[in-house]
Amino acid sequence: LKLFATGAALALTSCGRPAEEVVPYVELPERLTPGIPLRFASAFALAGYGRGVIVTSVEGRPIKVDGNPGHPASLGATDVFAEASVLSLYDPDRSKTVRNGTQITAWSTFEAALLPRMDEVRKRQGAGLAVLTPRTTSPTLIRQLDALRKSLPQATWYRADPVDDDTARAGAVLAFGRHLTAIPRFADARVALMLDADPVGPGPEQIRFGRDVIGARQSRRVDESLRLYSVEPSWTLTGALADHRLPLSHELIRNVAIVVARELGAPFADAALPDEVRNFARVVAADLKSRTGRAMVLAGPRQSADVHALCHFINGELRAPIDFIEPVDPYAGGHMESLRALADDIRTGKTQTLIIIDVNPVYDAPDDLPFAELIASVPFTAHLGLYDDETAAHCTWRLPLAHPLESWSDLRAFDGTASIVQPLIRPLYDTRTAHDVLAFLGGSIAASSHDLVRATWQSARQSQTAAGDFEPWWRQTLQDGVVADSAAAKGTAPAAKLTQITPASPANGFTLTLAPDPSVWDGRMANNAWLQECPKPFTKQVWGNALHISAADAKRLELVDGDIVRLRGPRRAVIEMPVLVRDGQADGTISASIGYGRTRAGGIGNGVGFSTRGVRSAEAPWVITDVEITRTGGNQNLLRTQHFFELQGEAEELQPRVTIAELARGQTLFAAVDSDPPTLYPPHKYDTYKWAMAIDTAACIGCNACVVACQAENNVPVVGPDEIARGRDMHWLRIDDYVVDGRPGFSPVPCMHCEHAPCEPVCPVAASVHDSEGLNLQVYNRCVGTRFCESNCPYKVRRFNFFGYADGQEYGDLGADILKAVFNPNVTVRGRGVMEKCTYCVQRISLARRRAEKENRGIRDGEVVTACQAACPTRAISFGDLNNPDAGVHARRHQPHSYALLGDLGTRPRTTYLARVSNPNPELSA
Amino acid sequence: MMTAVIGNGLAASPLAERWTLPPARDPDAVNRMVSAPLLESGLWTWRAWWIGFAVSLLLTAVMVLSIVWLFIKGIGIWGVNSTIVWGFAIANYVWWIGIGNAGTLISSMLLLMRQKWRASTNRFAEAMTLFAATIAGIFPILHLGRPLYFYWLTPYPNTMTVWPQWRSALIWDFWAILSYILFSIIFWYVGLIPDFATLRDRAKSPFKRTFYGALALGWRGAARHWRAYEILHLTLACLGVPLVVSLHSVVGMDFAASLMPGWQETIFPPYFVVGAMYSGFAMVVCLAALVRWGFNLQALITINHFEVMAKIMLAASIIMGLSYATEWFMAWYGGDRADRSLVAFEFTGAYWPMFAALLICNVAIPQGFWLSGLRRNVAVVFVIAVAINIGMWLERILIIWNTLSHDYLPSAWRLFLPTIWDWLLMFGSLGFFALMFLIFVRLVPIVSMHEVRHLVAEEAAS
Repeated sequence: LKLFATGAALALTSCGRPAEEVVPYVELPERLTPGIPLRFASAFALAGYGRGVIVTSVEGRPIKVDGNPGHPASLGATDVFAEASVLSLYDPDRSKTVRNGTQITAWSTFEAALLPRMDEVRKRQGAGLAVLTPRTTSPTLIRQLDALRKSLPQATWYRADPVDDDTARAGAVLAFGRHLTAIPRFADARVALMLDADPVGPGPEQIRFGRDVIGARQSRRVDESLRLYSVEPSWTLTGALADHRLPLSHELIRNVAIVVARELGAPFADAALPDEVRNFARVVAADLKSRTGRAMVLAGPRQSADVHALCHFINGELRAPIDFIEPVDPYAGGHMESLRALADDIRTGKTQTLIIIDVNPVYDAPDDLPFAELIASVPFTAHLGLYDDETAAHCTWRLPLAHPLESWSDLRAFDGTASIVQPLIRPLYDTRTAHDVLAFLGGSIAASSHDLVRATWQSARQSQTAAGDFEPWWRQTLQDGVVADSAAAKGTAPAAKLTQITPASPANGFTLTLAPDPSVWDGRMANNAWLQECPKPFTKQVWGNALHISAADAKRLELVDGDIVRLRGPRRAVIEMPVLVRDGQADGTISASIGYGRTRAGGIGNGVGFSTRGVRSAEAPWVITDVEITRTGGNQNLLRTQHFFELQGEAEELQPRVTIAELARGQTLFAAVDSDPPTLYPPHKYDTYKWAMAIDTAACIGCNACVVACQAENNVPVVGPDEIARGRDMHWLRIDDYVVDGRPGFSPVPCMHCEHAPCEPVCPVAASVHDSEGLNLQVYNRCVGTRFCESNCPYKVRRFNFFGYADGQEYGDLGADILKAVFNPNVTVRGRGVMEKCTYCVQRISLARRRAEKENRGIRDGEVVTACQAACPTRAISFGDLNNPDAGVHARRHQPHSYALLGDLGTRPRTTYLARVSNPNPELSA
Repeated sequence: MMTAVIGNGLAASPLAERWTLPPARDPDAVNRMVSAPLLESGLWTWRAWWIGFAVSLLLTAVMVLSIVWLFIKGIGIWGVNSTIVWGFAIANYVWWIGIGNAGTLISSMLLLMRQKWRASTNRFAEAMTLFAATIAGIFPILHLGRPLYFYWLTPYPNTMTVWPQWRSALIWDFWAILSYILFSIIFWYVGLIPDFATLRDRAKSPFKRTFYGALALGWRGAARHWRAYEILHLTLACLGVPLVVSLHSVVGMDFAASLMPGWQETIFPPYFVVGAMYSGFAMVVCLAALVRWGFNLQALITINHFEVMAKIMLAASIIMGLSYATEWFMAWYGGDRADRSLVAFEFTGAYWPMFAALLICNVAIPQGFWLSGLRRNVAVVFVIAVAINIGMWLERILIIWNTLSHDYLPSAWRLFLPTIWDWLLMFGSLGFFALMFLIFVRLVPIVSMHEVRHLVAEEAAS
């Protein structure tokens, strides 16, 4: 291990740039000035779709991921997964070397073993060879797979992503006769009904859809603002944002779709619905109808294909603002179908050589596809992956995959826009890319993925321009991070066929619905400590998942939070997991997230949470009906960073909600944020800058991107589950969630940087001080750790290093040398016994000031962008100088619905909020 | 004469006329009674002492171990968390400093108020003060995240030219404790000088004669010595009273000079002074009972002493009860949501059993002292005094827990769960206190001989 670490350190210090352009360090590489970070555009995949990023690299170490403003799926913002990917790069648990079984060996040995096998395969036209990949949008990889199948026609490509879109795909086929991908244009919509759809929830489109939805809701005119209705069994981020949300059991959502379709003229028999729901559906249908041309109905991935098809029909009737594109994922079949085909082929002995690239079916395939045994029965298996995971453990060959920050590749976004993935660092270990391995399968031994990617685009360009133009185009494309004009052509869909749909009858037992986890997605991020410790929206659970159950059901079954229950699905398998009782969960439907219960994720992710694999089947991977729940009598302490209490009016004060109608009256709704309660101390003078932040809670979708961005930017340590259980967490920025009238709301809470900060006068050693620009600074090396500042902070935003979380007492293997590479060199790593907190990213302010002073000017508005602000998909956070009356933050701070958190305490916070705004339908507002 | 001195109704009892019993009504008998355990080891078995010594040594070892472990691992070994950043260490500090209050009160305040009965209790009460204040002084340092830099609270010249931050109540606190400990040492030692001379004169072994002789600083009992002594002692007493009041006011301001609901109350300084006196007297009663039993001092520490101290505790318990009620009333009357919510949390929140125990121990049980039968029963007084000490500790921990668990933002509401290290350090500090006290009784006259002689002489004259 020590050797590996040394090797890694050597690789780091030698040069961080791709092998193809390595320059010896004795001469300073062009562009590189020590201390000045470089930024490169690239793209990261989520569920196979790319999100453009710009990665900051300091002396060869990638340390921070930001969004690429030019990329349609990023728009300059990020999500938690993109932010956290730098940590995975340096994960000491990554697969570092080729293994044959558990034996460490080399790529050459693998090649030597594969070559004779491939000769045989070639003789049989590829028969017996199978390649399993996740959803693949990389033009180069697709080109390689096509070439492979051309040269070996009998070889099979299987594609199965853990997060499939099979119902949407089948729904499109039902409605249009072929698969088309629907891309809603929220900007043009004014009324939208979500049938368990979650466009602003986690996923490859989250950033784009989040921005679009919030943008459409910015208008202060009732009929110009997008009104959202949501019918869902379990809370989604879209449901939290919706103006009207109806919790409804999974089955009955289908009936809502039918009733809405009937109202819009579909010739269906009536479907049974409770009166309240029927009324809701009617009102919504009327609202949709009245906004024909600007209304849409979206079905979520757990709804069946015929509901999707019905939504296409409704949207056709409504002339909904939805674009249709040819699918970006070119694989024709469904994911589960493909996985089953592979299982069948293995069972029948058709598959003799199986190459698995970056998928983990042993962990994430449903219970009736026992890949652990299936893979073992294949004579030759190889797994290429970032980790030596569950699937690798059952394969003969375990091959280490390069991290996206170490590889050349390309990716398409959900709308088809292509980006080049470029490496920022030479591979830390002896890893290869999927392109390298596929090239080897195709028979070319010396191909580099850099050349392969270039070749793809060279040939794509050749048809359009002369060959000589390629080089400048290539450089420009790398710089932009986006291949210009590569988005899929948008068209309108053919008229949707109206397919017959049968109403659902109420379920007998419980229905379990599953979804990817907002923190660890499908489980492939399970070994990322930042994500494990990222508090999930609504529940604030960290380091684990739980079964969400409605309060009424829990009462009936006599369950309380943390009680461990046994779930028995229609298949006999049984899983056990703790329950979390939630208001707003529909009775009869229980929900959980996938991605936990990993056994070979690595030191961080192993054994965290519970896998739902046991109750899933290929037939019903996401919705499992007739589930029985029994108590086991066990109880587990659920780790949560916020606890929820019965409140008496606090929530309305701390997180006020207003309607557009109230706002339209134009009056100031709350106490003035600049009120100046009497004080004995002389006022501070701010004759240069006066930094302030304004957070629009109406725009906050609760995605947590800011939380992880802050962690990455400010070297915020991870404390681990034991410390969380003791009530200690280190996030400088947290998302407070208060429930008002059953509706949660999100307020990001960084330091308020109070002008009359209660933390400052109580520090006996002047470690907490006020600066001339109004920043409330914490001087780490002066802090002796009395913690008086935190006990006197009404916002409780200060964080104490009870242990050396980054200073010798790290959780798990987070103290490994390699992980020191992820630190931002501009931010002190705090030692044990000192207090820390949000600094408004003072290092970024300082950078802007240096730059401005060099140019002999003041800092311009928008020049300082804090990490949380940069990450926010919906631009909920603005930051700037209050002394500048034209600054965006100045305008936001003086909006009529601006308020200061606990402003009546006289702290005069510099961080202020805009109240949550909703646009309720008067006909439904009770 | 006694009736003129004491206004609290003692005159009703004829027995209260005198503060000593016949066996002690002779100056030489007093000297013999007090100095025998120190000088005539053959007459004394010390068995109970050795048992107590072994137990307290063990507990002291536990304290040292928990401090060493604390320094190795950091304060994360305690139950403190991101919201309740203060815990046992601060509660123990306030509790111990409260205990450390009574010695000075008995010596100074009662001296100035000419309460003669203090003569037989002030010596060990002062020793108790000194030890308790010392232990109290350790906790704020242990509680620091980086205890090695505690000296940054002092205004020493340094290259950074940084001084302490004088607006912080912790700086006031630092000076208050420091000056109080220095004062306690001087006051205690000054009172001891004549007794050390007595021991020197009565000692038979040359070692003891030299040992006590050195400590007696050449005291010969001359009239000039006595005059100087009386002036100094009285002056120190005059200094001591404001000091003890200011110390506890400052401790109260550690909380009151904040923004937190349940802390930022003007009642805190006097409320802390009374609370300190209350727990201090309770501890003095406990120690008096033990000393009386251990050294057969029934003639010097009489039932009357217990009775008068019980009355003081009764008065203090009523003041405490009124203070609590004032807090609740002001929370309601002030109308602030956070304050009202906090009071509701005190009664119904997670710590309500402790809060109920606090009220029972501090307010309800001491009402038994209205009955003279209970006041005059040493065992009952002892048990109630222990209950008061427990109640006062609960009060200190709950001041911290309730406010920090339930302040302005419900999103940060959490609970505090003490760890084994919290408990070990706390009980270890009790052991350390016992250890120091046991060493004290072995080396130093437990009762102020010259003051009791003075009392006996006065009583004989009256």
